[in-house]
Amino acid sequence: MTSIGTGYDLSNSVFSPDGRNFQVEYAVKAVENGGTAIGIRCKDGVVLAVEKIITSKLLKPGANKRTATVDRHVGIVSAGLVPDGRHFVSRARDEASSWRSVYKGPIPVSALANRLGSYVQAYTLYSSVRPFGVTAIVGGWDSEAELAVDGQVGSGPESGSGGKMEGAKTGGPGLYMIEPSGLYWGYYGAATGKGRQAAKAELEKLDLSSGTLSLVDGVKEAARIIYVAHEDSKDKEFELEMTWISSLNGPTNGRHEEVPKELLEEAERAAKRALEGEDEEEDANKDVNDSERMEE
Amino acid sequence: MVGHGMTGMLGEDGIHVDMNHLKSGEVNLGTSIMAINFKDGVILGADSRTTTGAYIANRVTDKLTQVHDTIWCCRSGSAADTQAVADIVSYHLNMYAIVNNEPPSTQVAAALFQELCYENKDMLSAGIIIAGYDPKHGGQVYSIPLGGSLHKQPYSIGGSGSTYIYGYCDANWKEDMTEEEGINFVRNSLQEAIKWDGSSGGVIRLVVLTSKGAQRHLYLPDTAYTGPGVTN
Amino acid sequence: MTGFDFSNYNRNAALHAKGVPLPKATSTGTTIVGCIYDNGVVIAADTRATSGPIVADKNCEKLHYIAPKIWCAGAGTAADTEFTTALISSNVELHSLSTGRPPRVITCMTMLKQHLFRYQGHIGAYLVVAGVDPTGVGLYTVHAHGSTDKLPYVTMGSGSLAAMSVFESTWKPNLDRDGAVALCAEAIKAGIFNDLGSGSNVDVCVIEKDKPSQLLRNYIKPNERGQKERNYRFPKGTTAYLNEKVITKEDMKKYVTIEEASGDSNLMEVDM
Repeated sequence: MTSIGTGYDLSNSVFSPDGRNFQVEYAVKAVENGGTAIGIRCKDGVVLAVEKIITSKLLKPGANKRTATVDRHVGIVSAGLVPDGRHFVSRARDEASSWRSVYKGPIPVSALANRLGSYVQAYTLYSSVRPFGVTAIVGGWDSEAELAVDGQVGSGPESGSGGKMEGAKTGGPGLYMIEPSGLYWGYYGAATGKGRQAAKAELEKLDLSSGTLSLVDGVKEAARIIYVAHEDSKDKEFELEMTWISSLNGPTNGRHEEVPKELLEEAERAAKRALEGEDEEEDANKDVNDSERMEE
Repeated sequence: MVGHGMTGMLGEDGIHVDMNHLKSGEVNLGTSIMAINFKDGVILGADSRTTTGAYIANRVTDKLTQVHDTIWCCRSGSAADTQAVADIVSYHLNMYAIVNNEPPSTQVAAALFQELCYENKDMLSAGIIIAGYDPKHGGQVYSIPLGGSLHKQPYSIGGSGSTYIYGYCDANWKEDMTEEEGINFVRNSLQEAIKWDGSSGGVIRLVVLTSKGAQRHLYLPDTAYTGPGVTN
Repeated sequence: MTGFDFSNYNRNAALHAKGVPLPKATSTGTTIVGCIYDNGVVIAADTRATSGPIVADKNCEKLHYIAPKIWCAGAGTAADTEFTTALISSNVELHSLSTGRPPRVITCMTMLKQHLFRYQGHIGAYLVVAGVDPTGVGLYTVHAHGSTDKLPYVTMGSGSLAAMSVFESTWKPNLDRDGAVALCAEAIKAGIFNDLGSGSNVDVCVIEKDKPSQLLRNYIKPNERGQKERNYRFPKGTTAYLNEKVITKEDMKKYVTIEEASGDSNLMEVDM
């Protein structure tokens, strides 16, 4: 730690001579200790998943959720300090609600990410506060249907013109990740927390940019990736928590919901099978190598 | 307070009742305004008369006000109130376009107009019709009468002159008109409104909003509202 | 005791409740006009200020400076037009200083309309705003409630109907400077002669591109007071008297005490 003893790491809003803000970097460290959280942007929806480490046998399974609904069509999952995550979600809800009161409609996921990015960034500027100890993944679905203004009366013409444009592409999935610095980017697949490196490696294999992965397949991949990411901390028990948002004619009708129990369990079983399969493959490879060696 | 013709209420003697309870000396847009959907977008239309009491303060008023590239509104009621509301909405829509990196939809404009008109209903006399075109939704027409409710409509008429053309519009309206049919519908309707309503008059102004942008038309009384037509 | 004292307010409220009318503000029954021409804009005003039926000022100034090339003609409550234009003039200058650009007529018009709209018509200022800026020639009317109009020729005030009749009958496009000045002066004269609230002289202001603004104070004086044929002064000796007594300077001491001022200059000094 080059920062220790220099004094430049003691206060927020103070740069070190080489242009770093150590308080923000320490916040990132806090995130790196948190349970792995990922998001996958599929062609017909978004999946959010998190590895919830069980810190006590006394905690009720399925309680103490780590994913949260911000608005009907947006969900957030975060890695890092849990209370910071809760405050972040609370702010996101306020932003979504304020957008609704002004524009009489749901906030676009991109606009929400922008506002949250600005909010988090403000916590790097002042010595009286500390940065957020979370990296949050925001997933949502912008409605592809013509949206009525909340409170409007009537619906315009019966047919043809008047808010019913043929063939115009609107709405779709949105996935953003916001870091303690306030930096945010849109992603095809996002990962943060302890197992992010392994998770990212797995996400990259999925060819998400082609936009072909279906939501249901995405759920299974997400479960598998959380299990893969958990390999390095096998000694700790964990719970898999998953939520999803589909298109309007998909399984959640454009809403952010928990993945149904049956599908979640099926995905977990598939994930465990895939992991065991990998182990067997490795064993098999070992055998092959052994046999080759014997041939020498 | 649903419906239109908020300035067009008639008393027992057939004389206009001052529904707008205008302050003395306040400038009034005793008006005929309308907006319609047609096949490729929307058309807004208005007369050009502004009055203070019995005096015509402006005979060539432009009551069709741009609040964004292809979102416009027709103003009726108090000139001061509707100008102030349109200026505020225009500011917010321009900010929206910059902050969100995309032009606002007509819904956003309608929501902003409604918020202002409803929350300040006690202080405002404003009857506004919003019409806009955006590539996602095509053309749309919204109407906000005096109480601040919001109505999405195939076409909308407003102002004191509108009372005289409810029958005409209902009989002649059809969906999916061509641009030429739409222009004729609006122009003929407004010509009729001007003919019967003493508080409406002057020239007829139109704005046609399509994927190609905004196009203005002008029709003068000295040519029986036949020309000159497109002015930009 | 510190702070505001509201006892006068309470006294006035009590008097008003007992039926004493509130004092009336001076209202300038007025004719003001404006007209654009090819290279600039002209505004003009009469010079009568009234207070009820009384002519309060026979030669007041209703053309107000906003910026070097933006001027404003005011009708309505005299104090309101005076203070509103002064305030906006100040803000326009600060705005111009902070942007480093010459001020625009539309900026001035917007500031005026937003100010007046905020006061919901209680500021009784009816204004004609005119000027030349880098975007061209500008001419607007601003009503007390905050509505504005943009027209090639405008009139306001109680004489606006008379003035407008002149514009509507004789205005033509592509006027030159002299044509516009003559037309505006003629419109003001129509107000002066046909409107009771307007009178006295014609003030004109010409704002032209690439030229300093010209304020033509009392451009026309159609109501010059003529030489009186007779006067009412009495010749000396008109008043009869019974007796006469003359007191000379020397006899003054009999009536008053006179002390000579001392030459000692120290006596004049006062310790502070």
